[in-house]
Amino acid sequence: MPEPVIASVGASPLGRTDLPGRDLFSVALAEAFDGLPDPADVVEAVYVGNQSESYEHQIMYGTLLAEWAGLRYVPAERVEGCAAAGALALRHAVKDVRNGEHEAVLACGVEKMTSAGTSGATDALSAAFDRAIEQRSGITAPSQYALLAQRYLHETDATERDLAEIAVKNHANAARNPRAQFPKEIDAETVLESDPIAPPLKLYDCAPVGDGAAAVLVTTAELADDLDRPRVRVAGSGASANNIAVAERDMTDIAGARVAAETAYEEAGIDAADVDIAEVHDAFTVCEALLAEAAGFAPAGTGYQSYRAPAERADGWTDVRLSPSGGLKARGHPIGATGLLQALEAYEQLTGAAGDRAVEGAETALLLNEGGVADAVTVGHVLTTAEAP
Amino acid sequence: MTDGDLDATDPRTLPGFFDALAEGELLGGVCADCGQVLLPPRPACYACGSRAVDVEPQSREGRVFSYTEVRTPPPAFAADAPYTVAVVELADGGRLLGRVAADYADVAIGDAVELAVREPTAAEREVALDYEADWPLHVFEPR
Ligand SMILES: [Zn+2]
Repeated sequence: MPEPVIASVGASPLGRTDLPGRDLFSVALAEAFDGLPDPADVVEAVYVGNQSESYEHQIMYGTLLAEWAGLRYVPAERVEGCAAAGALALRHAVKDVRNGEHEAVLACGVEKMTSAGTSGATDALSAAFDRAIEQRSGITAPSQYALLAQRYLHETDATERDLAEIAVKNHANAARNPRAQFPKEIDAETVLESDPIAPPLKLYDCAPVGDGAAAVLVTTAELADDLDRPRVRVAGSGASANNIAVAERDMTDIAGARVAAETAYEEAGIDAADVDIAEVHDAFTVCEALLAEAAGFAPAGTGYQSYRAPAERADGWTDVRLSPSGGLKARGHPIGATGLLQALEAYEQLTGAAGDRAVEGAETALLLNEGGVADAVTVGHVLTTAEAP
Repeated sequence: MTDGDLDATDPRTLPGFFDALAEGELLGGVCADCGQVLLPPRPACYACGSRAVDVEPQSREGRVFSYTEVRTPPPAFAADAPYTVAVVELADGGRLLGRVAADYADVAIGDAVELAVREPTAAEREVALDYEADWPLHVFEPR
């Protein structure tokens, strides 16, 4: 079986932009193909992660973006899974290369979230929740995650200040990331004193609304070498759906994410302790704590210590560094593009292109991308430059 | 696999569930193989995959499992905000999300609540899909 690798990455500016979705994609694609032959000479299929047609009243993003890339008569489709759409697109590309169907597949993601203000984004995101009970009760994304946070604070030693420190850490990482939507440091007081959105979560516990696109080229190792590109192996890929309603899940043991991570580890022949860096789905600060536990980095109830240096964490924690990009919180969270921005960060970290934010010696990364609330769907990928075991 | 004869009177469909709720009866699915309670009822058990799902009346009493306050509502509910929502663990074991008829500051994990049912308001009918327009709403009242 050919082993899929990531051979190139690109992204648009993130945040409030003056470009529609297809144009954001063109910017991301131009970066990914800088110095390479044209996409039409390389790419054999396209997957597009995209959350919602409500932002641009547009579906058919597979067709549209393939066309804008100069590709005709190739398989191209939109992949939907709310905020996990990007990693689902990556997973499809990986499988196509792994099973020998294609030598080069473009996984991309795009979201134009700022087209209808905060209320437009709130409304579009609420479509990810169960319609019959949850939506009709008036639940929102922040309030769903607040239900998890309230329960987590109740069951563990974590405090609201610990959650604030996760945001502080991620902003500090983003301050060294030229791609970040919020490249600035903040302090815990800024978080704790920010507007309550859905208690115990405050404004600075929440990832921002923003536009963005990302493009990731998945190829065989041989093609990456022919293109003279640094390559990162996609050694494992796992995906897992859990109940749509958060009420019917375990709200502090994020079991679907655990399955996705363990599946990816198993395929890669590694375990959690082998992971050097992780980009996890910190749509809200509490997610980083919960996912650190689900990924096997932290004993149950201690994931909130993710902001601490490895030596200052509880016994049983690994040395992993979380969200070196600044995470969804500060790097940005353009929904359908997020899973691919995670892959972009790992690619840059593992190929020595992460500049000031490089985590020294990093060889292996875990990506965890979620859609809906928490583990309604989770996609896990292991990326590595280490030799296959 | 059986149950190809599901229709809108069956409480394992949403119209069937909400028709019963409108009459004041909260119906749950109960897995005949593992006991899992499913709210609302559905044809298959998520816990074990069994399709042997019985439909049984559920206690309307329960306790707050987690809760928060919605301060930035979806546009359809702007006039209601802020409002309290909770995940409630019912006495028969199922869990259900819903609004709580109390201020956030007056609610805590473990509080006893009881499910009440009301008809949709004119504003709620306005934002409902055609097939939802008559479905009742549930709300948890402190006990
Ligand atoms: Zn069962």
